[in-house]
Amino acid sequence: MRKQALSGILGVLAALLIGALVLLLQGFNPVVTYAALLQYSLFSTSGFAATLTRSVPLVLTGLSASIAFASGPANLGQPGQLIMGALGATLVGLFVRLPTGLLVPLCILASLAGGALWSGFAALLKRVFAMDEFIVTLMLNFVADYFALWVITYPLFDTSASSPMTRPISMAAWLPDVGGVNASVLVMVLATFICWLLMSWGRSGYEWRMTGQNALFARIGGCKVDANYVRVMLITGALAGLAGGLMIMGGPHRFVKGLGANYAWDGIMIAVVANNGILATFLYGLLFSMLQQGAIGMELVTAVPSEFIDVLQAIIVLVVVAGRVSLNMVFDKLATRRKLREESKE
Amino acid sequence: MNLFFGLVSAMLVGATPILLAAIGGTFTYYAGIFNIAMEGMMLVGAFCGVLGSFFLHSWLLGICCAIAGALVMAGIFVLFAVRLHTDEFLTGIALNLFAVGLTTFLLRDIFHVKGAFTDAGIRAIPALRLPLIDSIPILGKLLSGYNLIVYVAILGTGLAAFVIFRTRFGLRLRSAGYNAACLNSSGVPASTIRICSLIICGVYCGLAGAYLSLGSVRLFAENMSAGRGWISLAAVILVSGNPWGIAIISLLFGFFDGLTVFLQGSQIPTQFTAMIPYIATLVSLYFYSIRKVRRS
Repeated sequence: MRKQALSGILGVLAALLIGALVLLLQGFNPVVTYAALLQYSLFSTSGFAATLTRSVPLVLTGLSASIAFASGPANLGQPGQLIMGALGATLVGLFVRLPTGLLVPLCILASLAGGALWSGFAALLKRVFAMDEFIVTLMLNFVADYFALWVITYPLFDTSASSPMTRPISMAAWLPDVGGVNASVLVMVLATFICWLLMSWGRSGYEWRMTGQNALFARIGGCKVDANYVRVMLITGALAGLAGGLMIMGGPHRFVKGLGANYAWDGIMIAVVANNGILATFLYGLLFSMLQQGAIGMELVTAVPSEFIDVLQAIIVLVVVAGRVSLNMVFDKLATRRKLREESKE
Repeated sequence: MNLFFGLVSAMLVGATPILLAAIGGTFTYYAGIFNIAMEGMMLVGAFCGVLGSFFLHSWLLGICCAIAGALVMAGIFVLFAVRLHTDEFLTGIALNLFAVGLTTFLLRDIFHVKGAFTDAGIRAIPALRLPLIDSIPILGKLLSGYNLIVYVAILGTGLAAFVIFRTRFGLRLRSAGYNAACLNSSGVPASTIRICSLIICGVYCGLAGAYLSLGSVRLFAENMSAGRGWISLAAVILVSGNPWGIAIISLLFGFFDGLTVFLQGSQIPTQFTAMIPYIATLVSLYFYSIRKVRRS
């Protein structure tokens, strides 16, 4: 745990250094750039609140990918599941008339169901036809993307709008801002806590992690591997769906064209740097959200295009992941040397 | 008849990038690398192709730049996955994300546009009229007059089949994937063979990228590879790497891709026709899985 934290911090710092080099090569001042980045994401009240709100889809899709990868299934379908979850929440928000206390939970349930439906379809194909979920979830992403585009272009099109989008959902389903921070952050923190409980303390979490590390061992040990597979797929799909639903309820309050496109792969990226840990996913989610939020300020203050952050994120992923492997080798070497020294003393 | 020619042409246009990337992927497949970075290599190739063609005023230099760009990506893959022993899957995912980020950033930084860049100054790769066949009435129209890269892709497929199954390098390539320890003990380092396979993959993906941005159209758009790298990966897995099998699968996808263009004028909404290639991938995966289950 401490090792992982150390390699993570070192990796992020190294990546920031490489990013600074890239900036220097382009003729920008890295100190001013990074200062602007921090100023607009952490050290201003509105910026900090926006960072937290932005982290919701990042952390939730990250959790979805983390739990899936840690438990075995290569669920790469977060983008599609997010869209289907958002669509579920939009449908309920548009057509169901209920007071806030009932409509908000119902919308959240619909988003969970939307995401789980999409990942459940992939799980079904795997269980019945042995189709690899790795390719299936990927292809379903594109299908979900075009399907949602059709839904907002034809059946649910807001005739007063110029680009494809739905009408706003019922006001009763809007998640309010509490002191500048959207209430969806609370839902996200709660979901993270539940995931942590599930994976670290529950028996099912233990079974899943064992299956992820060695499916044969888990099967011989008496885990119901197949049933667990379906459960993991459904839960991770629901998490990604929740991300989509909360984006609708907390953000634009309607399904707009291109929703989630920017967050689509970020969840997988976060799970990869976090090495599938729940807490690490949460922290990296916040970090990436900070970078993305700060990018807007960075572009305002300096001339650096906000797309620089996309490059920086990918550099962080590569450096942290490669650094983890190399650092582990260094740690192992040090441990062996210490052991040898102790043995020679005796 | 014109409809038929149009469909054949559209099929080849759709098949070429997938074929090239998949042939590149089959080299790494045989070398035992789980390479999912074709998408990223293709995207960087497409961007560098436009970059070279626009600033150096030559489509040939554009192709060279595209290959160079894809090779840089392959080099990063080698550095992390082969040298530093990072997980191949994670490296691939990170590289694909890096490619999207880098190309959008550079698009903004160099060309000062968001979304897509197109300019009259970009030189496109020309179509090739085959000398003798071109004058034959129907056959000429069927076989001649496609983009240069289409013919390169066909030659590349034959070359790949020859290299993989008929040469010493091909034998070593296959043994690197089949039993790396055995290859190592015979005095040939498997890691060297793997590096070679990644370099070859980079060249093929660079060509695929060049075709995307300089062949069928003359522009670079954000994320313009649009999942073709993933489809080519599926194609490689579906036929267990056989180059001729890949050619058939690519043509099939090309056909569905061409169908998309043809159905655009019909009653079916474009959003549904655009799904066709991805659903076709799922359907072919279904047949593959069914066959595999029956065998075992």
